[in-house]
Amino acid sequence: MHLSMPNRRDFLRCLPLAGSAASVIPFAYAAAAHAADLRKRGKACILLWMQGGPSQFETFSPLVGHKNGGGTKAIATGVPGMRFAEHWPAVAKVADRMAVIRSMTSKEGSHPRATYLLHTGYLPNPSVRHPTLGSIVASELAAGEGGETADLPPVVRIGTRRRPDSGAGLLGMRWDPYELREATSSPANTSPQVPAERHLRRLDLMERLGSGFAGSLPQEAADHASLYRRATRMILSPAMKAFDLEAEPAEIRREYGEGEFAAGCLLARRLVESGVSFVEVVMDGWDTHQDNFKKVPELAAQVDRPFAALVRDLERRGMLDDTLVIWMGEFGRTPQVNPRGGRDHFPRSFNAALAGGGVAGGAVVGKTDKAGVEVTDRPVTVPDLFATFCASLGIDGAKENMSSSGRPIKLVDGGTAVQELFS
Amino acid sequence: MNSTTRHRLRLAAVALLAGWATAASAATPVPPACDDATFLRRASLDLVGRQPSPAEIEAFLADPNPGKREAAIERLLADPAWATTWARYFRDVILYRRSDERAIAMARPLEAFLAGHLARDAAWDAIARDMITAKGVPSQSGETAIIMAQMGETSDIAAEVSRVFTGVQIQCAQCHDHFTDRWKRRQFHEFAAFFPRIAITRGDGDGLDRFEVVSYDREPRKARIKNPDNPRRGDLEHEMPDLDDPSLPGTVMKPRFFLGSAALPLGTPDKERRKTAARLVTSNDNPWFARAIVNRIWAELVGDGFYDGIDDLGPDREPRSPEQLDELCRRFVSADHDLRALVRVVMATPAYQSVARSRADAGRPLGEASCPQRLRADQLFTQVLTALGVDEAAVGGRGERRAGGMRGELFSPRGGFNQVFGYDPGLPRDEIVGSIPQALLLMNSQPLAQAIDGERRFTLLGRLLAELPDDRELADELHLRTLARHATPAEIGVCLDHVRDTGDRSEAFEDIFWALVNSAEFIHRK
Repeated sequence: MHLSMPNRRDFLRCLPLAGSAASVIPFAYAAAAHAADLRKRGKACILLWMQGGPSQFETFSPLVGHKNGGGTKAIATGVPGMRFAEHWPAVAKVADRMAVIRSMTSKEGSHPRATYLLHTGYLPNPSVRHPTLGSIVASELAAGEGGETADLPPVVRIGTRRRPDSGAGLLGMRWDPYELREATSSPANTSPQVPAERHLRRLDLMERLGSGFAGSLPQEAADHASLYRRATRMILSPAMKAFDLEAEPAEIRREYGEGEFAAGCLLARRLVESGVSFVEVVMDGWDTHQDNFKKVPELAAQVDRPFAALVRDLERRGMLDDTLVIWMGEFGRTPQVNPRGGRDHFPRSFNAALAGGGVAGGAVVGKTDKAGVEVTDRPVTVPDLFATFCASLGIDGAKENMSSSGRPIKLVDGGTAVQELFS
Repeated sequence: MNSTTRHRLRLAAVALLAGWATAASAATPVPPACDDATFLRRASLDLVGRQPSPAEIEAFLADPNPGKREAAIERLLADPAWATTWARYFRDVILYRRSDERAIAMARPLEAFLAGHLARDAAWDAIARDMITAKGVPSQSGETAIIMAQMGETSDIAAEVSRVFTGVQIQCAQCHDHFTDRWKRRQFHEFAAFFPRIAITRGDGDGLDRFEVVSYDREPRKARIKNPDNPRRGDLEHEMPDLDDPSLPGTVMKPRFFLGSAALPLGTPDKERRKTAARLVTSNDNPWFARAIVNRIWAELVGDGFYDGIDDLGPDREPRSPEQLDELCRRFVSADHDLRALVRVVMATPAYQSVARSRADAGRPLGEASCPQRLRADQLFTQVLTALGVDEAAVGGRGERRAGGMRGELFSPRGGFNQVFGYDPGLPRDEIVGSIPQALLLMNSQPLAQAIDGERRFTLLGRLLAELPDDRELADELHLRTLARHATPAEIGVCLDHVRDTGDRSEAFEDIFWALVNSAEFIHRK
């Protein structure tokens, strides 16, 4: 912990815009862009979160020739033997860059608890605030780069309605997900209310008026100054342009398609490109207790095209090898179709899909029995899955953090990475 | 003898009279007392959740009465805002540990329940009893909040009852014997056995109104709840799972309190179980009931508790100053667990009234001198509105919220502010740091920008610019309203320089107002 309070000049020097002359802006912007460029070569992760529990049978584990398949047809992908449900024609075309785990298994069948589990790798426990995957990834990746992060917040969550976990938890608020309710409107309180020059004058004034406080409580003052510096760096950063989807060429926007989820996927790529380490894009509505066979095609229609576009787009930009894309929800759905044409919660066997981040394309891991009930081959637990994420991103999952009650908490609760995915 | 020395001696005397100073603390020098303005802001934020008004500050500073600090504490304790302020605090204690996000909708009923108690006799044992034995429709019965926050999960309710009311984190022993403390796995599950018959039924309707917390004492509950993934949920007795094979039936546990020996027989109805649990937890034979709340209140008011964790106590932890802790507990118990009495004693101590020492200051005597705290979200929200002269009702206050609505809770102005600035009071305070959205909200939000607009006649600043033509007076007035103290000559100088350099009086004072609302001093209670 350092006790030094930067003096006024240092404070301004740390900002992208030093002094008041507008001509300084391009230079400072160039410096920030350079930082973003450095980060781009690092690793990153994008989580496509299917809130509600997507049906494995109507996604990437179709069950043809059994009544539990519900009549959903399977389509071929570019990979021999790897078949997806008919609702995923676009993703089927990038199957050779993807891996599917068809043998996910857990015991947790309630939405909040399973959502927490699949976000943190742990079950909720009132005495420990487990960090969410994004915070783990961002803090560990930053640690590998001397603690430095880009101008934008290191973890961003798009489309969230309710908090699925305890955020950064014991890692501290710096790693908390920065939450955006939707990708298509600009993030809260980031449009400057006054010209940049006046904003910097105000910060300068704030610091001068705060010198008495800083004299008696230097650490509190230094932390505050550092926070305001980061927030100012963010809103004055050229990287803020990442939030402006209109700036993206029309043909790429077309490739991602229409809708909030598509916008979220495009924004995720733009953010990762600007140095953000982890982006979660939420697609709600997968809790198909009724009318599963009507709802899933509608949901898939919103996810299929942007998911495929994201994988291709990252690949074209040479970012796919370093960016792990995860598609998953909190559990799967019952093999048996209920009387309302729906499928209920089913954690015993479900699926997840991965792309990029060094994951071998075209890999299929695990199997269930013919009825889609029991995992019969290569069960993958939630800790195994989290260990796999860590392996992909070069993170040591065995690293321990201390909880507030002094209890050591591993990044990942045991588990073994699915090595077959990295052959 | 100067006034500070005189004040210190008087405080020491008050402490002595209160039976406070012990042989141990007599050896430690009494920490220097903070100045009157700092005291009044501290006490106002702590007791009524806002900074004092300029008029209150002037009156307090001018008051020659040596007992004015005690008088101020009495006046603030009698203010109705005392109940709201602490109800919101305990709401956070309970709801930040919710396992189900929907339980945020318990915020309002829980506040109402707690404020009701706090406004009456503020008896902590009655609050505990009501919460442990709670039943009913959650929107009407805020006392069901612990049960709702854990969605009726037996083990989680046990863990929370223990944490909130005894400060013992017994759930660390849920899966294995506690690593560092004496608690055995069996003891956790025996305690959980007080709660397996709590059920939450779900009817038709919206929000919280569709739920009801009930006792479930009759078979065949098991058959009613079909959940293949949780086969034991719904049993009438609590079982300790078999760790080697969780699919096997566990060991049926008799309800027994880990701090005593009395056990209830299997088959005891829910009402009896919970009444017994409430009696055992709040009993004067259980020293941890008083210690937990005394430690909590001391930690909140002074900055550090007697124990390192605010709710992680127990017989295997060594308190700092055990004699002082025992003395406070004795007084609290003899005052019939009256939280007002406890707060009054703590605030009379030299530790509470001392000059703040930074948390980062390694030489700081833990728990013996005041430590600056970041304001809780509710305090900060009220402070911002008060400073800007904005009425909460005018920004869409609580009246607009639908009963039991989760969205209403999250998206009311106060609820939205709490989403950004709130923190779990159970966390170590050095973990609570500012976030980017917090800084952005204060420095760059449109409503705030409008509220400090000096060009508008209806804003506070617009009015003050017209009323106070003297720049010194205006600069001082803004300091009083935001930081609850007069500006120093140096600060007046900085402000006058800024007015001169800017060349536009209105613009310059907008900047000054902005700088004060965004200052580190504003967001801290020092």
